[in-house]
Amino acid sequence: MSFEITRFPLIKSLLKNRWSQLLVWFVMLVGFLWAIMSGFAGTPVGNRNFGIVFVWIAWWAVLILVAVPFFGRGWCAVCPIPLPGEWIQRGAILEPPAKKPRWLNLRWPNKLRNIWLQNLIFTLVALFSSVILTTPKVTAIVLAAMFFLAIGMSMIFERRTFCRYICPVSGFIGLYAQAAPFELRVKDKKVCLSCNDKPCYNGTSTLLQVQGDARINEGSQAGYGCPWDVFPGGLTKNTYCGLCMECLRTCPYDNIAVNTRPFSADLAKPSTRMDEAFKAFIMLGAAMIYCGVFLGPWGNLKLAAYSAGTLPWIEYTAVFLVFLFGLLPVLFLGAVWIGKTLAKAAITLKKSFIAFATALVPLGLMFWIAFSLSFVMTNVAYILSSLSDPFGWGWNLFGTASLAWQPFLTTHLLPIQMLVLVGGLLWAGRTAQKAGAEIKISPVPVIVFSTLATLAMLGLLL
Amino acid sequence: MFRKQWFIGFLVILAGAVIVFAPLPVHAALPTHRTFRVEASQFAYDPGVLDVNPGDTVTIELVSMDVVHGLYLDGYGVSVTADPGQTAQLTFTADKTGSFRFRCNVTCGALHPFMIGKIQVGRNTWVWRGIALTVLGALAILILHPNLPKAKAV
Amino acid sequence: MISGVLIVLAAPLAARAIGASGTIEIHGRMAETGGWSPSVIKANTGTPLHLRLTSDDVMHSFAIGQNDAPPVDVLPGQMTEVTLTFDKPGTYIYYCTRWCGPNHWRMRGTIEVTGNDSTSPQPGTSPLYMKLNLDIDAAHPASVTPIGIPDAQHGVEFSTLLPASYLTPDYYRSHSPAQAYLDLSADPALSSLSGTDLWDLVAYLWQSNTTPEGLAEGQRLFAQNCAACHGETGGGNGVFSAYIKALAGKTPVDFSDPATRLGAAPALLQGKILRGGMGTGMPSWGPILTDQETWDLIGYLYTFQFKLSP
Repeated sequence: MSFEITRFPLIKSLLKNRWSQLLVWFVMLVGFLWAIMSGFAGTPVGNRNFGIVFVWIAWWAVLILVAVPFFGRGWCAVCPIPLPGEWIQRGAILEPPAKKPRWLNLRWPNKLRNIWLQNLIFTLVALFSSVILTTPKVTAIVLAAMFFLAIGMSMIFERRTFCRYICPVSGFIGLYAQAAPFELRVKDKKVCLSCNDKPCYNGTSTLLQVQGDARINEGSQAGYGCPWDVFPGGLTKNTYCGLCMECLRTCPYDNIAVNTRPFSADLAKPSTRMDEAFKAFIMLGAAMIYCGVFLGPWGNLKLAAYSAGTLPWIEYTAVFLVFLFGLLPVLFLGAVWIGKTLAKAAITLKKSFIAFATALVPLGLMFWIAFSLSFVMTNVAYILSSLSDPFGWGWNLFGTASLAWQPFLTTHLLPIQMLVLVGGLLWAGRTAQKAGAEIKISPVPVIVFSTLATLAMLGLLL
Repeated sequence: MFRKQWFIGFLVILAGAVIVFAPLPVHAALPTHRTFRVEASQFAYDPGVLDVNPGDTVTIELVSMDVVHGLYLDGYGVSVTADPGQTAQLTFTADKTGSFRFRCNVTCGALHPFMIGKIQVGRNTWVWRGIALTVLGALAILILHPNLPKAKAV
Repeated sequence: MISGVLIVLAAPLAARAIGASGTIEIHGRMAETGGWSPSVIKANTGTPLHLRLTSDDVMHSFAIGQNDAPPVDVLPGQMTEVTLTFDKPGTYIYYCTRWCGPNHWRMRGTIEVTGNDSTSPQPGTSPLYMKLNLDIDAAHPASVTPIGIPDAQHGVEFSTLLPASYLTPDYYRSHSPAQAYLDLSADPALSSLSGTDLWDLVAYLWQSNTTPEGLAEGQRLFAQNCAACHGETGGGNGVFSAYIKALAGKTPVDFSDPATRLGAAPALLQGKILRGGMGTGMPSWGPILTDQETWDLIGYLYTFQFKLSP
């Protein structure tokens, strides 16, 4: 049911063109560096600071409402954070250079070749989120830390190890990318089987010349091996492909395609990884807690979340961690266990737990969309004023600097959130049913769990 | 079997539309005048949730406890600002039913964008519709799709 | 590529440097986290002083003490421009006029204006409480108190009996209402009046030292400067009264308490207002309020004890 959009020459050439990609990267990089700069040199008032407004309102809105649900790892394709490191690592900005630089290119250790580290880093960021999201200097420090870490890692490790194993955003983008109606896949696996050099993974500094092979694509280019350490021929899910288009450039057989496909295609088969399952719990729990803390009327909760280091914050942290890593997974485990016991299934409890956790992917995504709609629509006016006076220095570039704050379309917010949440439940229910069909265990308890979580979100948001 | 599924699906959608769009019965209580003293401090309102009946004339006395705060009633578009020591009054008629957030509209510190309270005018229509729709949705999944469909051949 | 990025980064900083030249940028913060930065500015007489004001946290405002130019709001993350020109050299105080925490009144800075001024500076006059040798820190209980609330409107009826010597500003300022009552009750010209009538006459006497405009101004000054601690109805229960109690051991003065209030002469109140605290948390308003503003405010303070016609 997928539709190849690279069948259109214009689209394919745009995606393969390094200059068009560089242009987008340049804009993103400048915006990113301005965000860091405004964090350090601009006004400390969050809602008048480019860094806060354009990262946590504008970028976040585009990410969670558009990029992830519709394009999967589409943000990763344009993210500026790995760029300077990658250019240093490759020794070039566009085509591969004649002489490759000699960086360490170490392989990431086996024990860490999973997303547990990203789970941990995301949880840390989430715990400090009320400080990060409201304090320009702290946002700048976090962004700068990611930036310099990515550069450093590029000089030590191979490919985009930062993106694959460290970046906290990458963790959940990958998880939710499985739900998106957009993918990069090979057209015909048999072609890959007969390809010896696999330049999609290994890179090639020259155009591949295979004598006498009629399938050679004259449009293929010199390029780098997949920076995400993925073999395109083996891609069945979106989780780890960063849509950087290198393989599209280098495949000598024009065997790579970018497709649209139905939503949730990658979730038809249940997940098999515990790290991904826990990522789903972390995201689900964080969304629920944020709804209570940030959007609720309880001031002492907000202050507890904000006053890092104090006793109330320690209590908040404890509740946060217990909810995400204890209560939610345990309740879910109970639901899975009930279904498994009733079905008298042979599969292990652990495997069924992971399989059913797949249902939390669409549920969590919709929870995050519903939550984000609240503060995005409320605060979108700041984007306009921030464009005119990004640093709070009294500029008025577009005449909108004194635009008074006003919520946008919030009269329709409640019904939209309701539909998003119910839609998420339906989606999660179908996903649970598909998982249940695979492992022959009733999904009903898991659907009940998802229903209860949805009702909790309704109560918090509406 | 197939036709039955479509029929049930149609009923579900119909029920869903009723839940979302059906007008709820109007609250019977007579409108009165209500006054609330709301204390605003960094970063919450106290009380944080106000309950009124539709048609009530509501007066909110905003008392700032530390710095200058505002109160903007989202959905009604009215607002007021209070300096500490100078209680400000906001009076409006609660002619729209539902749940409305009020937010601070004078930057009052780091967590200012999250300084939020809620006024409940009559029934919280959307939450009830949401609960009904959620339950309907859960039932729909359970009824419309067999819970253990045969696994598709790979 | 790299140079492009560097140019794009440097551009805003350069623009800022250019735009800010010739002005002094003042950042306002709550007093607890720094107050005004800078807090000392130098200027010359006759030369316009261009200021750019911004707040780094909450809503503030900017005004010059003892100057009737209206205050200017200093908004968080936004810039407000103000140009001041000083005719006379001296030390001017700039301060915040919108409560920004319990230490709001400490948010003050100085502008030191130097320049050529041939007129020699006027010697300051010492305030009345010093001339009268009043100990403004001593307790001042009222030796007599009225039964109800004295009504100046009623006191008008007896005003014709009142000897002129009582109606001077000097008498009013140097006597507490309780002392005035005792003086009046001892005066043979008023022997026909009852205790209540005499209190009404005291109220009338107090009112005659105010004007409707003065009382309105006093009310405005009270709301802006005093109510946050003393309470909007003067009961010593303002939003910061708990903070003051924790700081100083007692709540701010309750202006509705006749036992102490009626024992305070206007000159004593002037002393308290001008000098402030000594550990009570009461700010010193001397550099901020003009003489007239102080007397207007004092006139208003007695409206918590007397019914004065507007």
